[in-house]
Amino acid sequence: MIRKFLYETGRYLMFLRRVFTRPEKWRLLLRQFMTETDKLVLNSVPLIALISVFIGAVLVIQTSNNMTSPFLPKMYIGYMARESLVLEFCSTMVCLILAGKIGSNISSELGTMRITEQIDAMEMMGVNSANFLVLPKILSTTILNPLLTMMSFVMGLVGGYLLILMTGIIKTSDYLTGIQFAFNGYYITYSLVKTAVFSFIISSISAFYGYWATGGSLGVGRSATKAIVTASAMILIFNLILTRIML
Amino acid sequence: MITVRHLTKYFDGRPAIRDISAEYLPGQCSLVIGASGSGKTVLLKSIVGLLEPEEGEVLLNDTVFNRLSPMEKKKIRSRMGMLFQGSALFDFATALENVMFPLDFFTGMSSSEKLDRARFCLRRVGLEGVDRKYPSELSGGMQKRVGIARAIALNPQYLFCDEPNSGLDPQTSVMIDRLIQEITQEYGITTVINTHDMNSVMEIGDKVIFIYKGEKCWEGYRDSIMTSDCRELEEFIFASRMARELRLRYGSGNPSQD
Repeated sequence: MIRKFLYETGRYLMFLRRVFTRPEKWRLLLRQFMTETDKLVLNSVPLIALISVFIGAVLVIQTSNNMTSPFLPKMYIGYMARESLVLEFCSTMVCLILAGKIGSNISSELGTMRITEQIDAMEMMGVNSANFLVLPKILSTTILNPLLTMMSFVMGLVGGYLLILMTGIIKTSDYLTGIQFAFNGYYITYSLVKTAVFSFIISSISAFYGYWATGGSLGVGRSATKAIVTASAMILIFNLILTRIML
Repeated sequence: MITVRHLTKYFDGRPAIRDISAEYLPGQCSLVIGASGSGKTVLLKSIVGLLEPEEGEVLLNDTVFNRLSPMEKKKIRSRMGMLFQGSALFDFATALENVMFPLDFFTGMSSSEKLDRARFCLRRVGLEGVDRKYPSELSGGMQKRVGIARAIALNPQYLFCDEPNSGLDPQTSVMIDRLIQEITQEYGITTVINTHDMNSVMEIGDKVIFIYKGEKCWEGYRDSIMTSDCRELEEFIFASRMARELRLRYGSGNPSQD
């Protein structure tokens, strides 16, 4: 098992070496970057927005239910919701969701290209297929997914606010005071760094498994499953490491 | 000219092709025939460098291609075109963009020059009005023709075709075969075609190599293929009842019984 892990890690690093070479034409890289941004990042906006609104609302309900003491100011509900969103949900949870959405997309796309010999066709022409196909995916997700994190944060807070407006669980002024209370800007940096690292993990691992898919359509399915499972596990491990380092 | 010398490729310690030598001449369609799983595709992919053979060498004119560095190989690859079994058109690109793809990478042409060249190649293979169609919107025969157009976009010296008429009806197969032959002769290309279609052999096979279980079993010309004394080749050619009956009726051979 250790031997297999080392073998796979070695193959993954060699794959990354092929990905991170100088592009043949910068113009083509830019074109692919725009395409991948649309496909992987912009297409994720509605899903992330929807989930964030609901999670924000749920966080407010749960925090409110757990704060029964009359000595605790109600503004702490907003404060707790904000801290939960910025520290964990907007980076780790959103990236775990993206591991499923983006990871399966990347892995199945590249896997299908592999088994239908489209990657061979590129290699045959002398094109570095790993660089052409994978680098734009990694760049677009690593650079732009942190913007999704920011959007998720805002939408989560909006979700909490909407819930309070609809249910009157606490005063909106308490909530607004709470979400501004003792704000630590470094937590945003922490969240953005985590998202960038997790996005790199998602895109590179999914691309690795897809790029080397074998065994027809079943193989493509297997590679997508492996990609999602491995990326999710790596996100959890790196979450622990980054939290230990940064906080 | 392409020369293959003692090419051997192993998978999991077992040889997929063993000690194959052959010569492919410019302006000719050289056919590699054999049953499915006989090693034709491994041979072709070893020649073009998609697989690394363990033994032997591939000479393109006088250059030992399989010993070159990746950068040196890359320069030569722009002089190669390949048509894959399933066409291998890029799903993310239209027919026109597929043909323009190698031009984007390997030429300094302006956009209009690339468009002109890609449209010329599509017209050359008899396709018009498909510029904006995606591969999934094209028939199998059309996909093959776009594949050929893409393969000739850079004016290649070498053209490799892996089962160019698999999955096509007989008429479309003949049309694709003739197209490949015309292009080969017109541009003096060295063309290597993998097939198990005997119609292709009789239609365009200037030179034929028969591979059986990873080894070269017979080599010759289409005129002599019917009278070969290679038992495996005979079994391959006359595998169907119709072929055996036709041979009994018109030929002088001695086909094996059911």
